[in-house]
Amino acid sequence: MTRYAIRSLLSHKLRTVLTAIAIVLGTAMMAGTFVITDQIRNAFSDIFGTSFAGTDVYLSQRPAFGSGTGQDQVGPLPASLIAKVRQVPGVAKAEGQIQASGSLVVNGKYVKSTGGAPNLVVSTLPKPFNQNTLTAGHYPDGHGQVALISQLATDHHLHVGQHVGLTTLQGVQAVTIVGIFRFGNVASIGGATVVATTFADAQQWYDRVGKASTISVDADPGISPRELRQRLVAALPHSVQVQTGTQAAKQQTDQVSNSINSFFTPALLAFAGAAVLVGAFVIFNTFSITVAQRMREFAMLRTLGAMRRQVLRSVLGEALAVGVAASVIGLVAGVGFAKLLGVLFRAVGFGLPLAAVKVHLWPGVVVPMAVGILVTLAASYAPARRATRVPPSAALREGAELPRTWFSPLVPYVAGLLMAAGIVLVLLGVTGSGPTLVRLLTIAGGAILSFVGLAMVSRYLVRPMARVIGWPLGLRGGASGRLARENTTRNPGRTAVTAAALMIGIGLVVFFSVLINGFKESFLGSIDRSVTSNLIIQNHNQSAPVPTAAVAAASNVAGVDSATGIAFTDVKIGNGGTDVANGVDPAELPRLYSFQWQKGGSNALLAKLSGTNTLVEEQFAKSHHLSPGSTFQVTSVDGRKLTLHEIGQYKDPVLFGGFMVARGTYAELATDSNPQVLLVRYAADANAAATTRAVNANLKPYPDVNVQTNAQFKASFSKQINQLLYLLYILLAMSVVISLFGIVNTLALSVFERTREIGMLRAIGTTRLQLRETILYESVITAIIGGILGIVIGIVLAWVVSLGFRSSGIVFAIPYGQVVVSLIVAAIAGVLAAAFPARRAARLNVLQALQYE
Amino acid sequence: MAVIAAHEVTRRYGEGGAEVNALRGVSLEIPAGQFAAVMGPSGSGKSTLMHILAGLDRPTSGTVSIDGTDITTLNDKKLTLLRRHNIGFIFQFFNLLPTLTAEENILLPLQIASTKPDAEWVEALIKRVGLGDRRNHRPAELSGGQQQRVAIARALVSRPTVIFADEPTGNLDSNTSGEILTVLREAVDEYQQTTVMVTHDAGAAAIADRVLFLDDGLIVRDAPGQSAGDIIATMAELSAR
Repeated sequence: MTRYAIRSLLSHKLRTVLTAIAIVLGTAMMAGTFVITDQIRNAFSDIFGTSFAGTDVYLSQRPAFGSGTGQDQVGPLPASLIAKVRQVPGVAKAEGQIQASGSLVVNGKYVKSTGGAPNLVVSTLPKPFNQNTLTAGHYPDGHGQVALISQLATDHHLHVGQHVGLTTLQGVQAVTIVGIFRFGNVASIGGATVVATTFADAQQWYDRVGKASTISVDADPGISPRELRQRLVAALPHSVQVQTGTQAAKQQTDQVSNSINSFFTPALLAFAGAAVLVGAFVIFNTFSITVAQRMREFAMLRTLGAMRRQVLRSVLGEALAVGVAASVIGLVAGVGFAKLLGVLFRAVGFGLPLAAVKVHLWPGVVVPMAVGILVTLAASYAPARRATRVPPSAALREGAELPRTWFSPLVPYVAGLLMAAGIVLVLLGVTGSGPTLVRLLTIAGGAILSFVGLAMVSRYLVRPMARVIGWPLGLRGGASGRLARENTTRNPGRTAVTAAALMIGIGLVVFFSVLINGFKESFLGSIDRSVTSNLIIQNHNQSAPVPTAAVAAASNVAGVDSATGIAFTDVKIGNGGTDVANGVDPAELPRLYSFQWQKGGSNALLAKLSGTNTLVEEQFAKSHHLSPGSTFQVTSVDGRKLTLHEIGQYKDPVLFGGFMVARGTYAELATDSNPQVLLVRYAADANAAATTRAVNANLKPYPDVNVQTNAQFKASFSKQINQLLYLLYILLAMSVVISLFGIVNTLALSVFERTREIGMLRAIGTTRLQLRETILYESVITAIIGGILGIVIGIVLAWVVSLGFRSSGIVFAIPYGQVVVSLIVAAIAGVLAAAFPARRAARLNVLQALQYE
Repeated sequence: MAVIAAHEVTRRYGEGGAEVNALRGVSLEIPAGQFAAVMGPSGSGKSTLMHILAGLDRPTSGTVSIDGTDITTLNDKKLTLLRRHNIGFIFQFFNLLPTLTAEENILLPLQIASTKPDAEWVEALIKRVGLGDRRNHRPAELSGGQQQRVAIARALVSRPTVIFADEPTGNLDSNTSGEILTVLREAVDEYQQTTVMVTHDAGAAAIADRVLFLDDGLIVRDAPGQSAGDIIATMAELSAR
């Protein structure tokens, strides 16, 4: 019987290949996800391994909480600590280092990092801490000297002896390139720029006088890093985090790669899961059709004395063979998919360092294999069961039909129930309070249920939908249009499942389009409503601040009415989670920002914001049970505590979440009091264009800041969101492609099934072109049914999810243009899918087709 | 002893006004080694009778036994085992698996039963039905007559208690029909194979040891083997009544 199963697969190569592709793509995405997340992790592991190779013990400020962003600005240590460390017995050497954000200015032009990677400035460490390799010149040893990482020098044609600028919190500093180095053995770390200065310069330029970001310690011979760490822990205050070099390397690798992968892995796996789900529909449909076509065969096997179990095994055997082969191919293709992802990430601005490809048995091989095989088996189980129900007497009759099971009349109810349960689950996942993973899985499970439910219901929708969609075709296409419409409704179940596969892809596209559009509209709407400035200024590198000096430089411009910086940072609230502390200038802010005041809040009150007084966002007040007059404790990332008094509330969940305090108070909560955003408002009588030019001129010493009008700011935000959307579209395109193969498969099998009928149509005068048209229309009708169902379920799911985010100010806004485009994509998929089966039908030899048995 | 015994078998399809009495009380016994033909016009109930005798359908009332076992009360599993070991089928449309070669098709029943084929027996069988040089061909590469030879060998391979042949010549031209009937008759003679053949082809029925005439759900005549001409005459006489 196994031989029979394998033979059957081999003799239907095309069908087998099309079925297998459905699983190949899904498993490839899954395998590729594991490959690339492993590459990311290994790359950071290499980077930090190199960084810490010569460090025995590493000292830094102990963070009061994990902010989860991975790039904790934990704040510096006092430089006096270095001398204290040197006194501890067993310490051979101890050196401080400054780490900051800044980049070069070459010929008046600011040098950006590629792909959103950081612009690092570090002070030079002596050996053995310094693990870099000089390729030219020497390391900086005097004021105004810098050394560059090799890739940076190559990219911008920089050489030793050249004079360039370096952006600092004190404006651009004139520096001379004295050396070029490789990081360990490599020319670059991701797309990051690295500039090395002297310790003293870095302290001066980056507001770190008398401080050190970190201290690296070398042990005396014979003293192990662990031993030395113990001694330093004993000698130093608790606020200092003491790690061996190995521990620090591991922690930083974990922190950075986890912060990236904790987002990428589930997101990519979700898209792979969508592809696998679509594949499951395609497999289910293909097996259903072939089982129906092979009823005679199964009946004959039963007359020869085959048990139901044997029939079941032979069909599942075919599925197993397809599943195994497809999963293996998928694994191999996964490496290619990982490469593609790397290219995609770079294209949309995530320039991540990637190590060499390594494939691990767990989870990289086992999970995609298991999912591929199990999904194939599960999807073919129902058709296989149906094969066992073929009565042996069907071998003796033509046109035997399967007995209806007790389940068939229940289908619409079960389907409705599944859909309802799915939507409830999504709602629970969105509004629930459990761990994020559980909630995401609940949402995913709910989405799958509602997709399956809608697929089951859709067989009842096929007839009316085909009638409406096919109507214009009928007007134009004459007989072809009518035949096509009738063909799609001939076996509504088959059309429904074929359409359902496409429905999932289109549904997810619409879901994300609507959701992200809602997010975009909320953000842009908030800016329009609240921001009354003319300019919105940020650092080019959005994780870096705007120098405080730049705020003054902007406000000194003639024609500028007001300029104010807004700073924000994460703080711990009470004993619970973290939220955002905003540092504002109470006197200036109301002129540039319009608040929606709630309980007690007002512009007058804002003017009084000082000391421990705070104004809080409505949602923040709600989750911490605050009202005007109540107090709460906050802890800064470097462990300073402050008790704040609420004096009023405002509503602005999108732009001003958390709470706000005066800039003076903010300094006690932040390790860096430079603002992240600078708003500038022009005087009513000022010439806007001229003032913009003047602001730009005055900010020339700060080329790392990006001066944008509100319109430009909104445009660049929209551009970033759209890039994210394009990435999603590309990932979802896989699902659409799989469903396209599903349509090809269904049509090809239908053509095969109707061979005799097609022969008859040709014999009575149907032209090849008419026949092709019939298949084409049939395909397009099916695809549009899938597209419409997808749009409906996508919008419904997005609406349900948006309910959960309503309190965060995210609105529900349908991007009609994108919805229409997705319907057009569905129609195009239908046209593409029809090409091959239509050609096949048109090429049938009339005589042979008529004799076909 | 009778290999097949049917007693007062009736079969009713449908209910109420739409009911059809396909069999209205058929009793018969087929002794071992006999080649019986069931003749009758279409709608006479001959197919229904064969389905019930072969355990593919259940009678509304009455009993059927094969080799002394009452098959009307067997469950699906036992019926399957009965078909596997005791019954062979020959179909009008051959019903070969297109993906298997002629020889593999012949061996299929043994494979299903996980029985090791007796090489000598299989060899003799393939020679008997005259497929020596075509054993490695796929059904699509065989003529209708050759395909039916494969089907005959497949029915014989497990040495069943009884073979049911359903219009075995119904899909063949008259020359080929003649060849196939000869093969079938010779095989029955050589292996003492009890066979029940349903047909409306008088030429086919003429090779049988016994001809049962069925009309309107009843056996209207039970005659010994006779010539095609006599059979046609009997049919004409019956339809004239």
